[in-house]
Amino acid sequence: MDIEAILLSLKLAFWTMVLILPFGIWVAHKLLRLNKSRPWIEAALALPLVLPPTVLGYYFLVGFGGKNFFGVPLVFSFSGILLASLIVNLPFAILPIQRAFEAINPEIREAAQVSGLSKWQIFRLIELPLAWRGIISAGVMTFAHTLGEFGVVLMVGGAIPGETKTVSIAIYDKVQSFDTSGAGMLALLLLATSLVAIGTSYGVFGRNPSRSNGGGN
Amino acid sequence: MLKVQLLQKIPMPIQINLECASGELHALVGPSGSGKTTVLRTIAGLRQTSSGKIECDSEIWFEGNEFSSINKSLSAAQRSCGFLFQQYALFPHLNAIENVCIPLQNSNFNQDERTNIAREWLGKMGISELAERMPHQLSGGQQQRVALARALARQPKILLLDEPFSAIDTPTRQSLYKTLADLRKDLNIPILLVTHDLREADLLADRITVIDRGIALQTAAPQTLFQKPRNSRVAQLVGINNMFQGIFDSGKLSWDGCNHIFLVADKGKIPPNSRVAWVVPQSGLSVHTNQSNSSVSAIVEKMSSLGQIAVIQFRVEASENTIEWEASSAEVKRLQMRVGGQMHLEFDGTQIHIMPLRSINDPRRFQESL
Repeated sequence: MDIEAILLSLKLAFWTMVLILPFGIWVAHKLLRLNKSRPWIEAALALPLVLPPTVLGYYFLVGFGGKNFFGVPLVFSFSGILLASLIVNLPFAILPIQRAFEAINPEIREAAQVSGLSKWQIFRLIELPLAWRGIISAGVMTFAHTLGEFGVVLMVGGAIPGETKTVSIAIYDKVQSFDTSGAGMLALLLLATSLVAIGTSYGVFGRNPSRSNGGGN
Repeated sequence: MLKVQLLQKIPMPIQINLECASGELHALVGPSGSGKTTVLRTIAGLRQTSSGKIECDSEIWFEGNEFSSINKSLSAAQRSCGFLFQQYALFPHLNAIENVCIPLQNSNFNQDERTNIAREWLGKMGISELAERMPHQLSGGQQQRVALARALARQPKILLLDEPFSAIDTPTRQSLYKTLADLRKDLNIPILLVTHDLREADLLADRITVIDRGIALQTAAPQTLFQKPRNSRVAQLVGINNMFQGIFDSGKLSWDGCNHIFLVADKGKIPPNSRVAWVVPQSGLSVHTNQSNSSVSAIVEKMSSLGQIAVIQFRVEASENTIEWEASSAEVKRLQMRVGGQMHLEFDGTQIHIMPLRSINDPRRFQESL
């Protein structure tokens, strides 16, 4: 079993999840207040869902090739695949949180306003606790999706062991070198992890959300 | 004292001018979509009109006009008002006492003091034992009591009630009426109640403002409103059944469709020979078996018995006009009333109230008011 690849995938998934959640919460909350520009912003954020990973990888290479971020190269490095992974995961992080914010009954926000709470207090005390299912779901989906990410990571990072060679790329390498049993083990691991992650996400969302977010009022 | 002047032409016309004194319960009534909730939300700062002025205890909450735009507008959080929502709007992730603590977040009290204040309010509402329950574990009436405690916890300068009793069953509603009536004495702040239930407004309010299509048609004490509606639309909205049309000329009212003329007090407000609407209250109508010079003959068309009360519908002879009359079952028996029988109606001219007849759709109405 390619432990190095597994650890790298876990590291990438963890950092992607940790970095994308605050940004996802901020964007999802901002989207609530937008009207005219909202469909276009939502479309741009959803692009990674429909575009082939190679297209995103191509633009990434063209855009960041040869460039550094505080001395760290942005292609063929862990930082590069992390940045690419953040972009690819935007819809997985933002959409569940956005839906969770939208499900909060507007009267709940108004009740908070007339109770004298500031915007920050409403966000912290009311909206965030009511949207927790969406936030957990976004985290789980991002984590699982990053573990299985292949195209963009390969385009941007190549397959440098310990640096950019994640589990999915290791599976590809093993199949290319006819190591089917090694590939099978890693594939089974990804399959099980993804199933547990998505199952958790569905379980969290499946339990009567109206009671906890006021959407049923 | 709360003073509200609101003016807006689009998207829906709003023209409201009302005052509510401390300790007064002022009801806003009108049909669905008439704009009464919009008015309440505007006062609370949850929406804005293009111009007007909202003033509470000499503090200006909103001021603006069409030409110089908005001069001042406090946010909903800055306006000191308690707001009771129709569907309670409790925070579903917080228990009852935590809900009541929320408005105290920005107070100078520490957490223990806040909890004590919240517990005290729940006690006043008679639900101390439910303090730890989550909203979904409470009945509609209990939720509304928590919501009322939350609305009052930070001692607001006004209390706004948006159809708070409409989603609650009748026995619970009666008990909430009593709670509200008891609270009024202690609170001594202006209370605005939005309702479409006239009986509720009559029961609870000191004064009622009738709103139709965003325009305040009349503000008066309930008794005055039911006896002397300002115009035919108000009469229609307050559910006056005995409303007729006629021509008024120098104290004489001739009834459309009948050959009857009533002598009515002329206050000089209605031009001579004008078409008018007129109403007569229950107390201005008496029914007799014998004819007199001034009586109007009518046939009993329908009799509906509602326990001890009977509602009689008469049709005036040789006309299409019908009149409803409520009487006790004993009175009906005394008059030996039967469907198809003839009776003689006596109208007390001093109690007949005449009003200008103008359609709600008449564009002059809104132009004049602007």
